[in-house]
Amino acid sequence: MKLTIERSTLLKALAHVQSVVERRNTIPILANVLLDASDGTLTLTATDMDLAITEKVDADVSQAGASTAPAHTFYDIVRKLPDGAQVEVETDAAASQLLLRAGRSRFSLSTLPIEDFPVLSGGDLPVAFSLTADELRAVIDRTRFAISTEETRYYLNGIYLHAVEADGEHFLRAVATDGHRLARVETALPAGAEGMPGVIAPRKAIAEVRKLIDETTNPVEVALSDTRMRLEFDGIVLTSKLIDGTFPDYERVIPTDNDKVLVVDSGVFAAAVDRVSTISSEKSRSIKLAVNPGSLTLSATSTENGSATEELEVGYSDSGLEIGFNSKYLLDITSQIEGDEAQFILADPASPTIVRDTADDRALYVLMPMRV
Amino acid sequence: MTIRMLPETVVNRIAAGEVVERPAAAVKELVENALDAGAHQIDVVLRDGGRTLISVTDDGCGMTADEMTLAVERHATSKLPDDDLTRVLTMGFRGEALPSIGAVSRLTITSRPRDGEAWQLLLEGGRKGAPQPASHAYGTRVEVRDLFYATPARLKFLKTERTELDHAVDAVQRLAMAYPEVGFTVSDGEKTRFACASETDLTGDEAALLRRLAAVMGRDFSENALTVDAERDGVRLFGFAGLPTLNRNTTRHQYLFVNGRPVRDKLLHGAVRGAYQDFLARQRHPLVALFVEIDPELVDVNVHPAKTEVRFRDAGVVRGLIVGALRHALAEAGHRASTTVADTALGALRPGSGLPYPGRSAYPTGGSTLPRELAEAVASYYAPVEGQIPGLDGASAAAPATVDDDAAAMAGGDHPLGAARAQVHETYIVAQTGDGIVIVDQHAAHERLVYERMKKALENGGVMRQGLLLPEVIDLDDAIATRLADRAEELSELGLVLEKFGSGAVVVREVPALLGQTDVGALVRDLADDLAEMDTALALRERLEEVCSTMACHGSVRAGRQLNPTEMNALLREMEVTPHAGQCNHGRPTYVELKLADIERLFGRR
Repeated sequence: MKLTIERSTLLKALAHVQSVVERRNTIPILANVLLDASDGTLTLTATDMDLAITEKVDADVSQAGASTAPAHTFYDIVRKLPDGAQVEVETDAAASQLLLRAGRSRFSLSTLPIEDFPVLSGGDLPVAFSLTADELRAVIDRTRFAISTEETRYYLNGIYLHAVEADGEHFLRAVATDGHRLARVETALPAGAEGMPGVIAPRKAIAEVRKLIDETTNPVEVALSDTRMRLEFDGIVLTSKLIDGTFPDYERVIPTDNDKVLVVDSGVFAAAVDRVSTISSEKSRSIKLAVNPGSLTLSATSTENGSATEELEVGYSDSGLEIGFNSKYLLDITSQIEGDEAQFILADPASPTIVRDTADDRALYVLMPMRV
Repeated sequence: MTIRMLPETVVNRIAAGEVVERPAAAVKELVENALDAGAHQIDVVLRDGGRTLISVTDDGCGMTADEMTLAVERHATSKLPDDDLTRVLTMGFRGEALPSIGAVSRLTITSRPRDGEAWQLLLEGGRKGAPQPASHAYGTRVEVRDLFYATPARLKFLKTERTELDHAVDAVQRLAMAYPEVGFTVSDGEKTRFACASETDLTGDEAALLRRLAAVMGRDFSENALTVDAERDGVRLFGFAGLPTLNRNTTRHQYLFVNGRPVRDKLLHGAVRGAYQDFLARQRHPLVALFVEIDPELVDVNVHPAKTEVRFRDAGVVRGLIVGALRHALAEAGHRASTTVADTALGALRPGSGLPYPGRSAYPTGGSTLPRELAEAVASYYAPVEGQIPGLDGASAAAPATVDDDAAAMAGGDHPLGAARAQVHETYIVAQTGDGIVIVDQHAAHERLVYERMKKALENGGVMRQGLLLPEVIDLDDAIATRLADRAEELSELGLVLEKFGSGAVVVREVPALLGQTDVGALVRDLADDLAEMDTALALRERLEEVCSTMACHGSVRAGRQLNPTEMNALLREMEVTPHAGQCNHGRPTYVELKLADIERLFGRR
């Protein structure tokens, strides 16, 4: 294998694929990136066995071939090369070393046999559809904060994607919950997704996808089976295993008979919550909301720090109510609200509360209160 | 196959298998007999770990020839006078020991009552001889030769001589702890393995008991023991509990006696763990010796042939009493740290080379050669100059924050931790007290203070509970689920709200907010185990306190931070008023105290 490639092109592709590679690996080959050069294209692949990213970039290939190299080291080298440099990549005769040349720099990286590199096959992916990058970004951003990090309930460690029908309309729905709060976002069901299975996309894959689609404007091609998903755009292919589990029946926990509607200016509310919660204790972060017609009093007390209150003007006309929340959870939700107003639909201090964005009826959040 | 009655020798051997499982069990039975006979001195000899000879000699009431003949029959006993098993006042009552031992060995009993003659009876493999006249002092000697010769299988399962001997010594020691008024010796025929004289002087029961405990558990224990004395619902608990800073890695040194009977009971270990949970790391165990006096009707000792287990009619009361009494004793001990700590420190100190004051070598060692007044005058002359610590040279303390003596008043009696004199290595505070010096580990001490403050906040403010959007259903054994549900109220105070969910499951609706995203299933299962074993929700408390202690660790003054004199004194004053400030959350001391006398001894002044 022998090729020459623009440093910035290589850096971008490497940055994409290397983030899959874990810092510490028990299987040595997983620390490596697979390089495959042919016909003016260099293909880079990295995997952690659950998730694989492959990216194709243009390169001046003078001799086709393949090799593997330590991903983080390779990336760090390319990152430190001067901008605009041309990088020459070449394997030696025995293919045991990968030689890098750029300007006056020379590097020789040890390689591992390409046959050892695991292939995460997509398998048969019967469902295929296309989403705009904007739609996908919105779906991920509004749900990922609620993904559980607690490993014993592994089926909550991802976003549940499935097709639903409501009032004759079809939606692609994304749901995430950690047992304390829940986020549910809908978008119009794309063509081809009608028969899609309900799947749970794991947290790490979600994080990688979100990073990769940050800049793109092109549509993302999604293909799914029960166990795998593949996303393809801009020459990048991400393949991931799905979480093998059953997502709980989340519909049951979304209250339907909450009737007390509180409307707040989301920016003002978030800032006030942030200020008042400064006082609440580091771990529980509790904050109390005293709702009365026309006004909302936020308060927090801590035996160590003292107390804080702040009063807001709000839209509320029902009977008074006091309810406690984890302030971090409130902030997580309000930061997802794009419109000017957030709507809280309450029942009582012990029941789940619904939060909605008045400007965007596709997103819905449910939050469990905190109690003393 | 026809059914037949087993011959009596076989019956006795089977019974022997239950009562006499190893030489130590025989020793225990015989010593208990001696105690029931009212002995004041009991001498035990074991040869080859008890395999060839066990001899127990007492000066008790003795037996006549007729009694002796009857004593070796099954279910014959002088105890249990009114045949009431619900009121057992003696150590033994089953009437099984002698015939059981006799069934598997060659047994010789020699006995002489106070006003009678000595007789001897031989029992070999269960066959009884006729009583012979003999010569013997008052009391009884039981000699067991060739134990288990009649049951070769049991013989094969005996451990090494040394192990068997250790077990026997342990059995005698346990009994010795409960009977300080009786003298004991155990020897292996050549060397005395354990001896303690009868504690009968007039310094009081408590002192006698403590001396006896020291003989068994070591002097460390008696020097670092707190008196425990409590009574509730007719149950009296007394004994001694070690300071948390004196700890071991097994529960072996936790002794429980019920009405003078040494027992091994899980209840004790659980209760002790509960009482000390705040002060010790999970794997460390304190030393305790506790004596429960309870109406014999409220305890069933007839659970186990060897009587090492008992059953309380109301285990909850006993457990609550133990935990309460231990907590109380520990709280009263305040910030006392174990003297073993200071002793270890002293042991580690070596006389320095180089003499700080040239004239010092002329100082006579051993003050006894000087008249007392003169010695004192000399001592005061050589006493450390105020505000300066001898031996503090620039190299060993980069920037010692030496404190001026305006705080000298603090060294008086009101402030047991004295006045801060300096900070060394930016980690330790050296303070001068009325009669010595105190070295404080600033991080450990502050950590404990922050931790105590947090715990108090937790108690006063209540535990915040985070509701679960998806209530978690945990499948459990039905009995366990019921037990958890029965304690729902107590658990909800600790922030865990659960209720029964059908049969064999509980549903958790709220969890302590402090725990964040936690593995609820594992928590509930741990709790269920704790409730089953120790009848308390220890796991939950421990987890909450673990969070507190991590937060305390992060929120406290680190080693390496320079403190000014005001800060140091403030820390010392706060330690004095905070309960349990003497040890950190892991049972290590937060400070050591060196008495002036100890320091003087180091320098050979005493």
